[in-house]
Formats: sequence, C-alpha cells, structure tokens
Amino acid sequence: MKKNKKIGLICSHGGHFTEILQLLEAFEGYPTFLLTYKEKATSDQRNTYFISNIGRGPIALVVGIIKIFSILLKERPDILFSTGSEIAIPSFYFGKFLFRAKLIYLECSAQVYQPSMTGRCIYPITDLFLVQWEPLLKRYGPKAKYVGGLI
Amino acid sequence: MGAVTQAIRSKGKICGRADMIFVTLGNHFQSFDRLIKKVDEIAFHIPHEILVQRGYSGYRPQHTKHFDFVPINTAMEYIKTSELVISHAGIGTIILCKEYGIPLLIFPRRKKYGEHSNDHQMEIAKAIGERGDDNIQVIYEEGQLEEKMMEILKNKGKYTPQENVGKANLIKTIKAFIEEDER
Repeated sequence: MKKNKKIGLICSHGGHFTEILQLLEAFEGYPTFLLTYKEKATSDQRNTYFISNIGRGPIALVVGIIKIFSILLKERPDILFSTGSEIAIPSFYFGKFLFRAKLIYLECSAQVYQPSMTGRCIYPITDLFLVQWEPLLKRYGPKAKYVGGLI
Repeated sequence: MGAVTQAIRSKGKICGRADMIFVTLGNHFQSFDRLIKKVDEIAFHIPHEILVQRGYSGYRPQHTKHFDFVPINTAMEYIKTSELVISHAGIGTIILCKEYGIPLLIFPRRKKYGEHSNDHQMEIAKAIGERGDDNIQVIYEEGQLEEKMMEILKNKGKYTPQENVGKANLIKTIKAFIEEDER
C-alpha cells in the first residue's frame, strides 16, 4: 500500500517533544513534517519548522498563529498529530477547518487526573483523542481512549 | 559515551565519566532552587561527579558543574551515560530513564513554593510511586535526598529495562487510525 497521507507532527519543546520522538515509529513511511518551538532544547533538530513560544505574550501569539497558518498552507497536511501543548490549538483549528485534516491528539502523560487546557480546547474537533492515564477518561467525553501511557 | 565525553570536555566544564549523576530540572519557566541547593550541599559527600541542568533556576551550585539548557539529543546522551538521574517530575526525563534503564530519583515541584503553576507533579510522583517501579524512586522532602541517593547507588544493577507496553499500544493505535484513513 502506498503511503500518501502527509502527516504534520506538532508539539512544544520539553516533555511534549520527547513524547513525539517516542512515537515516530507510528508515522514511518509517510511524508511528515515537524513544527515546534525554537528553544535551545530543539536547536539540534533538522528539517523542522520553528516558531517562537506562543505562550510568551500577545505579539508572539499573533506572529506564531500567522506562521502556523503559512506552514500549514505550504504543507497541506492530511493528518495532524500533537502531544500538546498550546501550539496544538491554532494548528488543530486551522487543520480541521481550512485543510480538512484528520486530527490525532495524545494528552500529555503529565495529566493524571486533570484535563489540560489544550486538551479541553481541542477535544471537540479531534478525531482520535488519547489519554495516558485511565482516571482521566471520565473527565473527558466518550471519544477519549486509553490504551496505555509512555511513563 | 565518546561523543558526549568529548562535547563536555571541549567546553572545559566537566570531564565526562560513566558514573555521573545527572540532575535535571527540564524546561519549566519557574525556578526549583530547593533541589539544586540540596544537591550542592551534599555534593561533597557523594563519591560521584554531579552535573546539574538548572533550567530557569536562579541558584548556581558552587560544588557541581552546571548549565542551563542543551539540545535534546545532548540531554539524552547525558541521561544514557548516567549512573543515576535526579529530576523534578518532568515526563521527558521519566520516559527516557525508563527507556534506557537508568535509575531515577524524582522530587516533584510544588505550587506552594512557587516551583510550578499547579501541583500536577505531585500527582505524577504519587501515581508512579504507587506503581512501585524498581527503577523509579520518589521523595517529597529534600531531607530524604542523600539517603535515597546512596540507597539507589548501592543497589544499582538490580534493574532490567522492561518492554514499554503503553508505548507499543499507542503506536499500534495511532498506526491503525492512519491506515484506516488511508483507505
């Protein structure tokens, strides 16, 4: 089977990024691109789109959103995958409504009992919504799934 | 090991050794001086080289080598070549220690000390503590640090990394979803 779907991998730096690296095997064979924050922790990544941390302030937020839009416009992904955090929110809304992309979200393994702000914002539009701790299932709707966690 | 040792030496900061203890505070924007201060205080008693990743913490240890941030692949090499990792309850470090089979001692950040915006690190620490992993120990007071460190270093070698079933299931589930969509 030819793997044609283009997949965008989106996450902030730190633990969210480590989580994406753990799961790269799931996307093997597909054309992919990576979008993350420009930080020292991500400075060794090649073939990656970088934006400034959109949580830093209103200017970074506006510039970041415009950049995310232009990156998605250029890449035209069929599927978006994110492990959070807030960088997923504009990416998923653009992806869903402008590019009809399918959305896969993995709630960060730091969320044991409480949903994250990002998770709550994108739950309604996400096609495959995974949590990493079973107790978290009841805090989301029936769409949320638990199949295991990375930690 | 080679590449890392060289990288560390070239900056003249530490001489990389296989029995290093790596203390890492991750990328969170608040400081976590409590842990660094304690590590600094007991560094003299510990017969190992200690390397501290301070992150945004303001306190500079006097008795250990330290730096603020490094690219993720370098951090991975530090973890891989350590005998023990001591860390806040950041999930990146937990995942990597589990993968590499490196003993990990967790000391969660607390909201009440201004170390995090909420107490989710306590929840992670408790959830992991309750699971009883041989490889991951948790402390909640800095006074417990030295004793627990020595205990882990004494018992080293007991741990064998196990297959990460959660990771395998996540990969399988995501793959199946993409393949379904491909049809």
